[in-house]
Amino acid sequence: MSLEEQELSELKSKIGRNPTSTELQIVAAEWSEHCSYKSSKRHLKMLPMDGPLVIKEKGYDSGVLDVGDGYVVTAHIESHNHPSAVEPYGGAATGVGGVIRDILSAGTRPIAIFDGLRFGNIEKDLQARWLFKNAVTGIADYGNCLGIPTIGGEVEFDECYENYALVDVAALGFGKKENLIKNHAKKDDIVVLMGGATGRDGIGGSQFASDSLESEDRSAVQIPDPFIEKLIIEAVLQARDDGLIHAMKDLGGGGLSCAISETADALDIGIEMDVDKVHTRESDMHPDEIMVSESQERMLVVTSKSKLKKLEEICKKFHIGCSVIGQVKFDHQMHVTKGKKTFANLPTDVVANATLLDLPSKEPTYLKTIETEKKFKPVSDYSKTLMKLLASPNIASKIWVYGQYDHEVGIRTVVKPGADAAVLRLDNGKYLSAKIDGNPKQCYINPREGAIGCFEEACRNVVCTGAKPIGMLDHLQFGNPKDPEIFWTFLESLKGLTDFAKSFGIPCVGGKVSLYNETPSGPIKPTPVIGVIGLIDKKPSVPQKISKGDCLLIIGDTKDEMGGSEFFEYIHKFVGGKCPKVNFDDSKKNMKSVLSLIKNNLVKSVHDCSKGGLAVAVSELTMTNQIGCKVSLDKVPGDKLDVDRILFSESHSRYLLAFEKKNLAQIESLLNKNKVSFKQIGQFGGSDIEFSNKTKSIIKLNVERTRKTWLHSLPNLVLHGKK
Amino acid sequence: MATFNVHVTIENKPGISDPEGDTILNDLVLKGTHKTVSKIKTAKMLKFTIKEKDKKTAQSKIQEICDDLRIYNPMVSKVTVDVFEN
Repeated sequence: MSLEEQELSELKSKIGRNPTSTELQIVAAEWSEHCSYKSSKRHLKMLPMDGPLVIKEKGYDSGVLDVGDGYVVTAHIESHNHPSAVEPYGGAATGVGGVIRDILSAGTRPIAIFDGLRFGNIEKDLQARWLFKNAVTGIADYGNCLGIPTIGGEVEFDECYENYALVDVAALGFGKKENLIKNHAKKDDIVVLMGGATGRDGIGGSQFASDSLESEDRSAVQIPDPFIEKLIIEAVLQARDDGLIHAMKDLGGGGLSCAISETADALDIGIEMDVDKVHTRESDMHPDEIMVSESQERMLVVTSKSKLKKLEEICKKFHIGCSVIGQVKFDHQMHVTKGKKTFANLPTDVVANATLLDLPSKEPTYLKTIETEKKFKPVSDYSKTLMKLLASPNIASKIWVYGQYDHEVGIRTVVKPGADAAVLRLDNGKYLSAKIDGNPKQCYINPREGAIGCFEEACRNVVCTGAKPIGMLDHLQFGNPKDPEIFWTFLESLKGLTDFAKSFGIPCVGGKVSLYNETPSGPIKPTPVIGVIGLIDKKPSVPQKISKGDCLLIIGDTKDEMGGSEFFEYIHKFVGGKCPKVNFDDSKKNMKSVLSLIKNNLVKSVHDCSKGGLAVAVSELTMTNQIGCKVSLDKVPGDKLDVDRILFSESHSRYLLAFEKKNLAQIESLLNKNKVSFKQIGQFGGSDIEFSNKTKSIIKLNVERTRKTWLHSLPNLVLHGKK
Repeated sequence: MATFNVHVTIENKPGISDPEGDTILNDLVLKGTHKTVSKIKTAKMLKFTIKEKDKKTAQSKIQEICDDLRIYNPMVSKVTVDVFEN
């Protein structure tokens, strides 16, 4: 856990001498993959980051979008994979804390949390079950204590995460444009550290996150304290209102080393700081430890001497620590002292800008044969297969998870978790919709198309609420980038996301790259997680209760794309086949059409068709509305396919609409006008989920019985070890 | 076979923060007149009663149970096992 040899000689030649031990620690933290993005940064530039609504300011940790009437929304995504794999409760909780402070550092109030969780096979693996249970509790406890609603996310299980955990947390903030912190520093300004005391916890965390996990070397554990975080939020927002903050940065990976060097580099200044001034939890801490400690719940603030007294009063009022640790200089040096003795004195641009790598990439050999499908024994009882899928951990209701989160605190939540995407009310009368999605099974088979699929699925989810996508967050999680095959999958995913973002005009407003995600049995599957933020100008589509006689219509073609489907992987235990591809033109047409149907108030409920395919999507509609539905598979538009594929193919760009029969003609004419592929495929009523092909009945399941299985199988599995 | 009382104390390892203990210290104890207190650490204690042939077996058996059932996370917690004869 230190610099590599050539990095050390590079550092020596840049500063023209041997570095001190403190300097080595600082540089090792800041040049770690986690802080420097040295493997990925060169390539991330390809993503479009500008748009009409994007506000850019130097030194922001989160993306800022203008939502009109003088208001802005901020968004950010982070992961806490390595810490969560070791200590799921604390790791997941401090992950929430970190992303919240990124939102706060732009000067906006955090208003929502999302979490994307991935674990091993919880049906077999007790460790995975333990990780899952505790990570969820960690997120719930932290978010609930803070009074910030956790309003969405996703949970997925796959054997590739054996003995490991992916914990992604995204957060949204909201505030007035005029209150955004315009990061700057003036002569004689001072540097203040606010919040919790610095201790020995999490020492070396960022380097730890940049090494593959080995069972012995799991030293970075962070203990969450949501009550201090809450006090920091309130103190910072008051200081913002009083105009006391010139610049602000949260302390995350790399601790003070990163915060000081990055702030200085972004503001084009130098900072001189004294480690003796840092309020510590233990008295005997070495300067090296203070500089790299990743103690949670701390913020770095640049302010002027005249404003200090007021800032100190605010900190006193909120019972949080506040110490002046240094001052702004204009020499572009990061100067760390202990009393009068110098421990580090480095040019900030050297510290903050690691040399970017240009890693080799090579198409993985497994991809050459992955699309070849195996022949399976025909399914004898489709009702049983569907029931099995609905009870499977990836498809079963996640109410056990989001039921633990307070998703209403703050009284903004208009559409709650459990639907396609959650919707929040904003102060200017508009609504915000957001969703995060990932699909490692499809990304493994085709990193490019899989990543595009995640992006489109997140878009579909916000479109289902009537929102137009205005920004995206990307979180790219891969194994060791030094393996050319893994790096190739990273590049492919990134290129796919770039193409989609450019074609749809959705700027990337924030993101994160997490590499070296390796388990004892190898690298994880490529796991990009995409968050999409949508804006609704007028009224959101709040799902209305479906009643007897209502029609079911599908938009979009069902294709022969079974690769990475739950049907192949869960029912047949087969990894392979062709992964679904998004047709950009169809995708745009379909999105536009759904949005105008919602705007014209023609539909009761819109649901996207994804995991588990049409069969699962229809079942979800019937179960949440507790009403039966008769579906004719022969009417489903798309390629001529066998029953397996029509039921379970996970083709993109498909939406299910439920509406009153009287609107049918109007809906059809609008869809015809937009040249969209669609068909009315069923009608609601009765108490059974029924699928038939021409006259032959394929599936018949009682809605109530199915619903019970769907709702209870996940909690039963987690709590009692059986479905 | 004799009956033993085994006390298992689970606390955060030294150097790892203890927000609960800090809060009790700062917001309760030090707000009173008890200025001589300088530190409070919280811990969880499980009291087992177990029938075993001797003290040593009782201790190792309880340690084994705690390890197997993940009663604590060895990454975070320090565990002390004390055995008392009934």
